[in-house]
Amino acid sequence: MLKLFKIIADAGEATAKYPFAPFPVSPGFRGKPELDATQCIACAACTTACPANALTMDNDTATGIRTWQLHLGRCIFCGRCEEVCPTHAIVLTPTFELAVANKDDLLQKASFRLQDCSACGRPFAPAREIDYAMALLRQSGVAVDEARRAEFACCPACKRAATVARDAVSQHLSPEAEQ
Amino acid sequence: MTVSEQTKVGQNYVDGLRERFGAAILDAEWQTADQVTVTIKLGSLPDVVEWLYYKQGGWLSVLFGNDERPLNGHFAVYYVLSMEGIVKSWVVVRALVEEHRPEFPSVTPRVPAAVWGEREIRDMYGLVPVGLPDERRLVLPDDWPDDLHPLRKDAMAYNQRPAPTSDSETYTFVNDATGSTRDVPLGPLHITSDEPGHFRLFVDGEDIVDADYRMFYVHRGMEKLAETRMGYDEVTFLSDRVCGICGFTHSVAYSSAVENALGLVVPPRAQAIRSVFLEVERLHSHLLNLGLASHFVGFDTGFMQFFRVREKAMTMAELLTGARKTYGMNLIGGVRRDIMKAERTRTLALVAELRVEVTQLVDMLLSTPNLRQRTAGVGILDKKVARDFSPVGPLVRASGFKRDVRADHVYAGYASLPFDVHTEDSCDVLGRVLIRAREFFDSLSIIEYALDNLPAGPVLLEGFHYRPHQFALGFAEAPRGEDIHWAMTGDNQKLYRWRCRAPTYANWPPLRYMLRGNTVSDAPLIVASIDPCYSCTDRVTLVDVKKNKSTTVPYKEIERYGRERKDSPLK
Repeated sequence: MLKLFKIIADAGEATAKYPFAPFPVSPGFRGKPELDATQCIACAACTTACPANALTMDNDTATGIRTWQLHLGRCIFCGRCEEVCPTHAIVLTPTFELAVANKDDLLQKASFRLQDCSACGRPFAPAREIDYAMALLRQSGVAVDEARRAEFACCPACKRAATVARDAVSQHLSPEAEQ
Repeated sequence: MTVSEQTKVGQNYVDGLRERFGAAILDAEWQTADQVTVTIKLGSLPDVVEWLYYKQGGWLSVLFGNDERPLNGHFAVYYVLSMEGIVKSWVVVRALVEEHRPEFPSVTPRVPAAVWGEREIRDMYGLVPVGLPDERRLVLPDDWPDDLHPLRKDAMAYNQRPAPTSDSETYTFVNDATGSTRDVPLGPLHITSDEPGHFRLFVDGEDIVDADYRMFYVHRGMEKLAETRMGYDEVTFLSDRVCGICGFTHSVAYSSAVENALGLVVPPRAQAIRSVFLEVERLHSHLLNLGLASHFVGFDTGFMQFFRVREKAMTMAELLTGARKTYGMNLIGGVRRDIMKAERTRTLALVAELRVEVTQLVDMLLSTPNLRQRTAGVGILDKKVARDFSPVGPLVRASGFKRDVRADHVYAGYASLPFDVHTEDSCDVLGRVLIRAREFFDSLSIIEYALDNLPAGPVLLEGFHYRPHQFALGFAEAPRGEDIHWAMTGDNQKLYRWRCRAPTYANWPPLRYMLRGNTVSDAPLIVASIDPCYSCTDRVTLVDVKKNKSTTVPYKEIERYGRERKDSPLK
């Protein structure tokens, strides 16, 4: 019995002051994911990696908008999105207070403009991805100026058609021979 | 995976089977050095399993069905035996069941441990275990259509279920009492921790004459979900969620099942880190159970103190894995997070603090007269019952069997870590409490040793090739017993079949025998001693056979009566 009293006395007050004082978490704690939309290129790597389907992408070709969505109610805070993001646009923060009064508030969205193909005019990839590809090449020493943007903003199908047309001429292949 | 002749462990069992059963043994194929799948003729199933179980020191870890019609035109049943005789290995007995004759001979009359598994195969695949005395459903609700078997490949989508047709239960609870008894329903929302359950105690006055229970009220259909909806590499994150306490253990078991199936060699550092995380889980789980043991004997101060100290174990988990629950750490081929110097130093400091504080608390708990008085000789799991039902964890160890998957079979980093397998011969609740306390201190030593001797190198194996239709077992010792998973890869990077067995599934069937002969006020203590997961919403039905009267009591009330032992709800 005396042992017990001693343990209780030594323990003192165990109750934390939270929520009246902040509750510290360990470094490396995996809390609410935050998207830095200025960094994001809307490549959708995070939505492919997300095991819980908390992250999704929707394309609206009519308006030319790609919508990135995070549903915090589905998030399991595994951090796979952070691991696969090529631009470090999404990181897990130490925030753990996620309660909302309205369920819809758990849904976060970001919209990105889709690039229309310079040849056929149909949207095919996020505009940011084109910028990113050009910037990457510039970074690695390839001279890519704005004048060549149309080349990069061309959809794979049109690129293929253009290549085939060019090669057919250069190799003197008639359409019959190609078949 | 091809296993060379020299490294095959368990060849003696296959040789023995061939010698004894001759033509009934069709094929033997090794998945890993110590895992062999023996395909036999269906008719010999009970004989083969019985021989391996009782004559060769086998324990039935799990059994399950598989719809292999798209692969070979048959259903299959698998009985997984953990061989713990002189040679320690896994023998999986497999038999094919013809599609037009969906039945197989029941093993349960020979090996009682098969009872739940066979009932589940009947529910999930519609394969009838001929000769199984218990003809009730196990998993499916009472009003589920008779001809719909969810795990058949052509049955249904994972997200559909037939609309309920009835609000009332038609399940019959089994009462083996010879005299008259009174019915005490405990549930339907209860009992220990994973999900609601319904307990029915048959009492004569205050004495429990028999008990029956029903689980699976909130069956989540995870196996179906994994097979149809998720990629094999995402299932590690789903397997975490099997349990709120030992989630990491499940994902280790799942990942190693796939790693074994694909023949992947996980880097030693990853294996050691897995062991550290597994032991961190054991720390907080055992402290939780010791706290609950205090609570159920009416010593709530002890409960508070154990839970206060348990926070240090939770902090350790947060520090090492980034979350209080050790979730999301495993990938196929290793772990996602290394242990850095700062984390290591802080963890070692926490280990030292825990050792001091828990030593004091355990001393205090054991010197509390109430504990011995309430737990010694209570909830006896007879050795014979234990041998027949293959229970796992501290439950079976307290009945004198030295079973611990960490010591019996090689996985994670345990081959090079120091620990003992603790056993007790008292077979009672006290024995289980003592074993948990000792294992707690072993876990502290394992963590210290592993952190001091972490192998160098990568923590994740990258660049392996996925192959469909490979299968193997994965296993890990959770705080309450072994988790065992069997995974078969399939097309489109999805699992063809995933069977996951949590330890409490193996511990429920013998519980009935542990409750018999005790008093109603001991029931919560006995149930808690197998450390099931507790949801606090349970009720109990008490049936008095003499008065033929049934009372439904809130579980809280029974729990209160268990602690205070005053104002019996039966009166």
